[in-house]
Amino acid sequence: MRRLAATSLLAVAGCNAHQSALAPFGEEADDTLTLTIVLAIGALILASGVAVLAWRAARSPKGAISHEGGMKLVLWLGAVGPAVILTVLLLFALPAMRPMSAAPGDLRIRVEGEQFWWRVRYDPAGEAPLTAANEIRVPVGRTVVFDLTATDVIHSFWIPGLAGKMDMIPGRTNRLVVRARKAGIYRGVCTEFCGLSHALMAFDVIAMEPAAFDAWLADARRASDGNEADAGGAAAFAAHGCGACHAIRGTAHDARIGPDLSRFGERRTLGAGILQPTIENTAAFIRDPHRFKPGARMPAYKSMAPADAEAIARYLKGLP
Amino acid sequence: MTNRRPRLYERLRVTLWTLIVPPTLWAGHFLFSYLWAAISCAKAGEFATFPWLFVAGTVIALLLIALAGWVAWHQARIPGDAPPHQDSTGVDRLRFIAKSTLLLAGLSFVAVLYTALPVVFLGDCR
Amino acid sequence: MSLHEQDDPELRRAQEERLRAVWASPKGLFLKWTDTNNDAVGAWYTLTAFGFMLFAGVLALLMRTQLAVPENDFVEAGTFNQLFTLHGSMMMFLFAVPMFEAVAILLLPQLLGARDLPFPRLSAFGYWSFLLGGVFVSGSIFFDAAPDGGWFMYPPLTTRTDLSGLGADIWMLGLSFIEVSSVAAAVELIVGVLKCRPPGMRLNLMPLYAWYILVVAVMILFAFPPLIAGDVLFEMERLLNWPFFDASRGGDPLLWQHLFWIFGHPEVYIVFLPSIALFAMLVPTFSQRHVLGYPWIVLAAVGTAFLSFGLWVHHMFTTGLPKISLAFFSAASEAVAIPTAVQIFVFIATMWAGRVIWSTPMLYAAGSLAIFVIGGLTGVMVAVAPFDWQAHDTYFVVAHLHYVLIGGTLMPLFAGLYYYWPLITGKTLSDRLGRIAFWLLFIGANLTFFPMHISGLEGMPRRVFTYPAELGIDALNLASSIGAFVFAAGVAVICLDIALSPRRPLAARNPWNAGTLEWLAHPQDEHWGIRSIPLIESRYPIWDQPDFIRKVDEGRYFLPDAEEGRRETIVTSVLDARPLAVIRLGTPSWKPMLTAIALGGVFIFTTYHLYWLALVSGVLTLAMVLWWLWTGTAEIPERDCKPVGHGIELPLYMSGTASPGWWAMFITMMADATAFSGLVFGYYFFWTRHEDFPPDALAHAPGVFWPMVALALGVLAWLLAITARESNAKGRVGVARALLMLAIGACLASGAAGVAGPWTSGMAPESHSYPAIVWTLSIWTAAHAAIGAIMLGYALARSLAGRMTPRYDAEIRNVTVYMHFLALTTVVTYATTGLFPEVS
Repeated sequence: MRRLAATSLLAVAGCNAHQSALAPFGEEADDTLTLTIVLAIGALILASGVAVLAWRAARSPKGAISHEGGMKLVLWLGAVGPAVILTVLLLFALPAMRPMSAAPGDLRIRVEGEQFWWRVRYDPAGEAPLTAANEIRVPVGRTVVFDLTATDVIHSFWIPGLAGKMDMIPGRTNRLVVRARKAGIYRGVCTEFCGLSHALMAFDVIAMEPAAFDAWLADARRASDGNEADAGGAAAFAAHGCGACHAIRGTAHDARIGPDLSRFGERRTLGAGILQPTIENTAAFIRDPHRFKPGARMPAYKSMAPADAEAIARYLKGLP
Repeated sequence: MTNRRPRLYERLRVTLWTLIVPPTLWAGHFLFSYLWAAISCAKAGEFATFPWLFVAGTVIALLLIALAGWVAWHQARIPGDAPPHQDSTGVDRLRFIAKSTLLLAGLSFVAVLYTALPVVFLGDCR
Repeated sequence: MSLHEQDDPELRRAQEERLRAVWASPKGLFLKWTDTNNDAVGAWYTLTAFGFMLFAGVLALLMRTQLAVPENDFVEAGTFNQLFTLHGSMMMFLFAVPMFEAVAILLLPQLLGARDLPFPRLSAFGYWSFLLGGVFVSGSIFFDAAPDGGWFMYPPLTTRTDLSGLGADIWMLGLSFIEVSSVAAAVELIVGVLKCRPPGMRLNLMPLYAWYILVVAVMILFAFPPLIAGDVLFEMERLLNWPFFDASRGGDPLLWQHLFWIFGHPEVYIVFLPSIALFAMLVPTFSQRHVLGYPWIVLAAVGTAFLSFGLWVHHMFTTGLPKISLAFFSAASEAVAIPTAVQIFVFIATMWAGRVIWSTPMLYAAGSLAIFVIGGLTGVMVAVAPFDWQAHDTYFVVAHLHYVLIGGTLMPLFAGLYYYWPLITGKTLSDRLGRIAFWLLFIGANLTFFPMHISGLEGMPRRVFTYPAELGIDALNLASSIGAFVFAAGVAVICLDIALSPRRPLAARNPWNAGTLEWLAHPQDEHWGIRSIPLIESRYPIWDQPDFIRKVDEGRYFLPDAEEGRRETIVTSVLDARPLAVIRLGTPSWKPMLTAIALGGVFIFTTYHLYWLALVSGVLTLAMVLWWLWTGTAEIPERDCKPVGHGIELPLYMSGTASPGWWAMFITMMADATAFSGLVFGYYFFWTRHEDFPPDALAHAPGVFWPMVALALGVLAWLLAITARESNAKGRVGVARALLMLAIGACLASGAAGVAGPWTSGMAPESHSYPAIVWTLSIWTAAHAAIGAIMLGYALARSLAGRMTPRYDAEIRNVTVYMHFLALTTVVTYATTGLFPEVS
């Protein structure tokens, strides 16, 4: 029933399975979709009911109902009926507000919103943290706790297919507990207006089988040799001062101002979910980020030789 | 007529202020609930294991609203013409305000119950 | 005067001549803008608000053009952000709220059979403030300087001067200015409904429109001031770097969200209820019977007003507050649906019991009801928190709020436009064009906003200037954009209809055969409002009271003349509308406009950091207000009483609780106290947010001594003022004057002691939220004490000038009302800043 309704909604809407509350891959989003369908059907029935009554009322001759009849209508349909319906609704809605519970050993992922990208830190229990940016990987079937905050302005963290959104507020750390059900590649976005490029602040979410996730995490931790094969690119990266803001694990660059670029080569997008990470796009972004992302904090390097930009892009693409 | 002492609902003066007694009680209870939850979560860090303060506040609010409703119920029944209370007489004006107060008491009663429901289902500060 | 005197047509003609002369509008290119009559001011107000609506609508069309296709480059991100910020802000602050005030100013005196509202000059002042502030805010987009932080202006994006420019100040200061005018209108409307009803119109006979206006105006008193408090904190942070919202210095961005939404949610009902009020007038007319369930409507209006103040956190469901707090607001958000359903069923029952005449206004009413019901039901959906966590800040909410506002505010106003146009202009609108426009609007609204429900759930956030093609929502967005232009075409047809109407013939009097008072108006406009003020015995006097129109027209009721050449109306009692007095109303004057300009200077110069000019404007404003009061209020009449007809003599002077001036002061101070409580909320909010509040370094600032001195002096000033009032009433004028002088000294000393606390303990307001909020509370209270001193001085001066006597003592009674509130403010402030740190 639910799947049918969801499918028909999707058919109306097109076919977006990556960033949609109608195509859930997580437990909370699944439950919320059920709730959505129930609410929507209820709303449809009530709206039709009111319309039919209003139509009959408008067509009826004078005195079709008496004063007492009219007062009964107001009492039962206007007051008592809604009160009963809303009570039932609350009895279902309030228990659904309970957050998913988390255990101390669960994987924690800290995400900080910044204008206009995402700083990510994996905090597996009992292991050293791992820094990343603009891409989040979660294991299917395991509970994951997101610790969400922001450093500059308010952002909001929303992966529609996984769970409801949660704001990221400077000075506060909000917690969102989730569990993915289905492996795949999805998308999350910023949903609190955060400035010029609010619309261009997204990220990829990769839900992986637990074993694959563990392997990835171990590998990401180990891959600590930079991209030694590309000495020219590494030199250009250093010479243009990219390391003043960006970090790459295994190199001397460990600044924390801009996004961590370790394992840039495996990222699915560039610029927080807005561009294909091709070498051309990356080089163009380095020379003029504001063309793609107005208001981005990264300065433009318009005077950089195109060849240098390409060398840096190739170097990044080769990471790890 | 006899000289019996007028009943409570006959002695109380009906004004525009009495109309808003029930919803004001709702507002007071709502504010109390919000502050109770916000302060116990922010300062105590958790709910008291038995939220007796909240229960007491809710029962008091419900009783007072019921009392206001009871008074209004009787005042709305002071002898006079049948509804719709639209004559230009003092009695009709009084019965109209009483009727409206009664309806507001009903709404406020339901709204206080609604406000109390969350405490039944959500027992912590997460 | 006996009843038969009015039989003499010569006398009646003479009376009409005198009334016409007294109520004549000022003529001339410049002079006509000094008018204060409600028909002129109401008409300007309505037209201006309508103009702002068209302007904001064009902004929406630009947005929909940008979003018609994915990755469009029709406008830049920066422009787009200005467009949506200004669209939302203008529709709310420059259209919906002012339009309600405008229509109320236009209609209310007619509905109440009053010659005018009690403070016509205050209405004019409100209008000029609105115009000035509105042009200032909306004009900024032509200089690429419009606010661009969203209509909710969340800090820190908007308070950090490196992230936001002048636009934020323009929003904050320009709209604060307009909030002042809204509070002014609320005062006017509340006093109008409570005190200026015609004799006999007891509370149970009041037109439902007046009930709604009363409720909504009271809501404004409690909803706008928290935003004003927020504005104060916001500008302190932007201009002086006091860290109320900066988390790194002990502030919290959520404080703004609380203050904004305590205003913002009632605001929705503030713009919705007056439109439903128009339904409550036209549904009975077109059902040709009394409204059924009158007390139920009162229940619904009052109930909605209260509940609407328990909903604000549902705009903050995703901020990570404890779920238990969210749940209280979720429950209240469901409860508010009950009174709304009651109203809808009252209208359905009325239609059912009567026979519906399908006119153009009724078509609009039915269409807007259909749209509103959908918006209301999606409102119930988003009140369910788990659903809202998905829907919040997506296009689903955009769809919901536009269904509510188009169905609940805009379309009912169009229904009202078609209904009341003959009343206001004497001309009719075209049924044909009206119906064409209706269908364009109805189809356009649904085509624009229905697809947004789906695009929102499909992952489209709000306030995005573009979206990627991969989301698969381009067809939905294209439909929305087409719908927006269809809707705009509907509005254009209405504008065309309005433009053509001056060439149409005059309408009949009471063309819809309605039963309520306002339809006494003549198609040929007479500025006197009503020929004689009737005795009301029914909710629908034109239907129920025999010969009603003729008796009014022949001046057979009250006050049919203006013998002394003064503008007058009758003041009655709150519950039973017993006639109490005749008051003289303000006449056309430059003062309201000049005061508005001076006050505007304060806000506008502050925006550009021209503080000296702002200070000069402030002093000018004060001088203007004093001049206005001195020359135009509490005038001692030439005699005690005058006959108003039917052998009734009414006094010409009132003071104390029965007088409109006392009520106006009381109501204004309620608003002031609410703003103050917003600041106090800020103090205790910070306390809940911090383990150590006050922080250890400031544990003994501002100390106990100075706050307690200030408190004692403040209470002393209050006692002195009360004693002065009593002495004056007992005829001991000399004693009263001396006491007033002492009270002035106590006020000033209290303010100084209040500021001495944080000053002597060296609290640096830029360093942390604690010193910042202590300073703010102290300055607020000291400023109020200073104003108290000015008011006491005014009363003293009136006494010395012989304009205030033991018998004519309105000034000192009104000032005492101020002093009650000042005492309250003083006690709360200094108990908080001085004692709370000791006990917490």
